[in-house]
Amino acid sequence: MNWTAKPRIGSAAGAAAAPSKPGPSPSAPPAANHRVSNGLKEFLWLIGDVPRGRILDLGPVWQSTVSFFVDRGYRLSAEDLLRAWKDFLTAEEEKLRTAAIGGNNDKLSPAVLADKFLENALQYPEKSFHGVLAWDLFDYFDAEAAPRLVDRLSTLVHPGGAVLALFHSRPAERFHRYRIVDAQTVELIPAPTIAVHSRVFQNRELLDLFEQFRSSKSFVGRDQVREALFVK
Amino acid sequence: MWRKPTEVQPSSQPYASPNPSSTRSEESPKAASFQPQGYSTPAASLGSVPSSAAPNSSNISKISSGLKIQGDVSGSSDLYIDGDVTGKIRLSNARVTVGPNGRVQAEIEARDIVVDGSVQGNLKAGESARFGSSSRVVGSVLSPRIGIEDGARLRGKIETVRAPQASKSPSVESSSESEDLSPVATGIKSE
Repeated sequence: MNWTAKPRIGSAAGAAAAPSKPGPSPSAPPAANHRVSNGLKEFLWLIGDVPRGRILDLGPVWQSTVSFFVDRGYRLSAEDLLRAWKDFLTAEEEKLRTAAIGGNNDKLSPAVLADKFLENALQYPEKSFHGVLAWDLFDYFDAEAAPRLVDRLSTLVHPGGAVLALFHSRPAERFHRYRIVDAQTVELIPAPTIAVHSRVFQNRELLDLFEQFRSSKSFVGRDQVREALFVK
Repeated sequence: MWRKPTEVQPSSQPYASPNPSSTRSEESPKAASFQPQGYSTPAASLGSVPSSAAPNSSNISKISSGLKIQGDVSGSSDLYIDGDVTGKIRLSNARVTVGPNGRVQAEIEARDIVVDGSVQGNLKAGESARFGSSSRVVGSVLSPRIGIEDGARLRGKIETVRAPQASKSPSVESSSESEDLSPVATGIKSE
């Protein structure tokens, strides 16, 4: 890994808009459903040089997250990828069920399903984004879909851009969505389960999965959730 | 120079919620409060947002549930859509409200845009755009102020622009950059 120097994504002109370097957190303890996020701090620091940078949030859209970025001059795109994946699978199952009545019940392989999903998902021009908030969605995609998603993301991220992802070291006790509270705090929102935890990634698997990114850095919390940053 | 930032130990209790009543659910029906409690809402977001209640003024045109309109809509009166509209809607001095039963496949340009139904198309608001908890939007959003209730589903680019000057036309200022990253613009179909 090469995490020895901060990548310069944009020009120095954006330095005025850059957040200060990550530093000590306020002493106030976080709320129970709030998570102090070193990964988010690093993510913001990495993209801080980019004036009017573009961010892609792959979770549900939240007022607080939108306000956080647009008030700092970023442009935000939102696409709830896990929701879209679930809707896609539901639609495919319905098609299969309908087709089975007619006698044609050829089930698509996971690889074909993933490719088909990506025909409509994450359709943005190359190098569109300086930062991607992937949250923990990779935990919920199968072994065929996850690498394809990473491949697609790698084309969307501007060189020097960063992807922030969370990985559970054991299946999550319940399903959460995430939203940004402030520059170092993420709120976990309990939500109806829309996907089953698919896998637990080991370190080597993570590095292999994101091999197209040039460096990575991770933080493991006491709750055994790993926050990982991958820089293209 | 890279300087290792001071690391803060993440909270060890991210899953515990001693006060469940204060925990927001993604799709909680209680999320109707537009200005959520518990965190600040910065200036660019929407503090005083038009209500999404059904129109009760005589100066509001209404496309009721069951009606289907295909074509361009323009004018100066407020519009409430609870039916199906396909085309283009341009009401630069008025408010467009898409009700819970409304299904719109059109670009919308208006002073205020309120969505509680389904919209596929880019939205440009001169003053504010608000998305209710039942809203489903695929397209880019350009507005000086944006309000999003918990539960809203929005797929596309979100960008704020400066509010137009009083002496200027109230139509939305164009963004400083012309490129559009909304999935609609790149050919994505509705989910």
